[in-house]
Amino acid sequence: MNSTTSKPVFVYVTYIATTPEKVWEALTKPEISEQYWFGYRVQADGGRGARMTARNPAGKLAHDDPIIESDPPNKLVYDWKPLYRDLPDERPSRVTFTLQPFKGQTKLTIIHDEFDEGSKMFEMISAGWPAVLSSLKSYLETGKGLEPSWNDEAQKRAAAGA
Amino acid sequence: MSKPSFVYVTYIRTTPEKLWAALTDPKTIGKYWLGTSVDCDFKPGSPWRMNFVDGRSADSGEIVEAVPPRRLVVGRWQNHFRPELEAAGVTRCTFEIELADYYPDFGGQAVKLTITHDAETAQGAPMIEAVSGGWPKVLANLKSLMETGDVTFQIEARS
Repeated sequence: MNSTTSKPVFVYVTYIATTPEKVWEALTKPEISEQYWFGYRVQADGGRGARMTARNPAGKLAHDDPIIESDPPNKLVYDWKPLYRDLPDERPSRVTFTLQPFKGQTKLTIIHDEFDEGSKMFEMISAGWPAVLSSLKSYLETGKGLEPSWNDEAQKRAAAGA
Repeated sequence: MSKPSFVYVTYIRTTPEKLWAALTDPKTIGKYWLGTSVDCDFKPGSPWRMNFVDGRSADSGEIVEAVPPRRLVVGRWQNHFRPELEAAGVTRCTFEIELADYYPDFGGQAVKLTITHDAETAQGAPMIEAVSGGWPKVLANLKSLMETGDVTFQIEARS
């Protein structure tokens, strides 16, 4: 994680004991993402020019962003602008996933950039990605993601979101 | 000029007590820390020595704080096996363990481990750059060990 430049850039690397193909599926298929992405159904398997969509556990559309680059199972790039109405209105930022075979496993690098200086969204994604990517690693290595509790308050927020 | 710093957060399905044990038990450290182990009693003021499996010194430092199962600070952390990193001087690494929400919208809790590795001066930048590459591997291995009983990277001699 790095925020030393005036335009902040988030970088996170993790290693997962599986193939790049399995990580790719998990990043692009909603029936897999919902098992680790805290219930979110993320679809990003349409290729360049298609849309990356995400629905929250209440079914509300949380993302509908363009896929900029899609090179399965190596690289995936999409824009990022959540549709939640209570979030700061900032220009779309950009998410780049790079998947590399590394000693029998997958090195997954996420770079989230193109934020404006002082972005509030940057703080939110910096807190969110480590949780999502930790859960992704748990899911692919143990068959179980990290469990959200979806307590009453979280459910209300999910239903009201977007 | 700001001091070089690296921060990494991971969430692990375990308890704070088990994670503390994994960070402070030399035998467990040897399983996930990429061919090194640590010789230390983890009491404030004690020397902290990280050695390769063949006994050579990799890094050394001293325990500044040890508050089980929440907070561990290793100060005067210096590399000894790469001259350009040894020349970068001493750094400080803080381990914080908490049972935390993943993220406000997600609900649920796991054990959150935050590693903050700081240089004491701008001169330390090469060391912080080096640990920025190493921590994700060590912490991926640690998380896998805690959750599956096995590591993802097998132990190998590092030089």
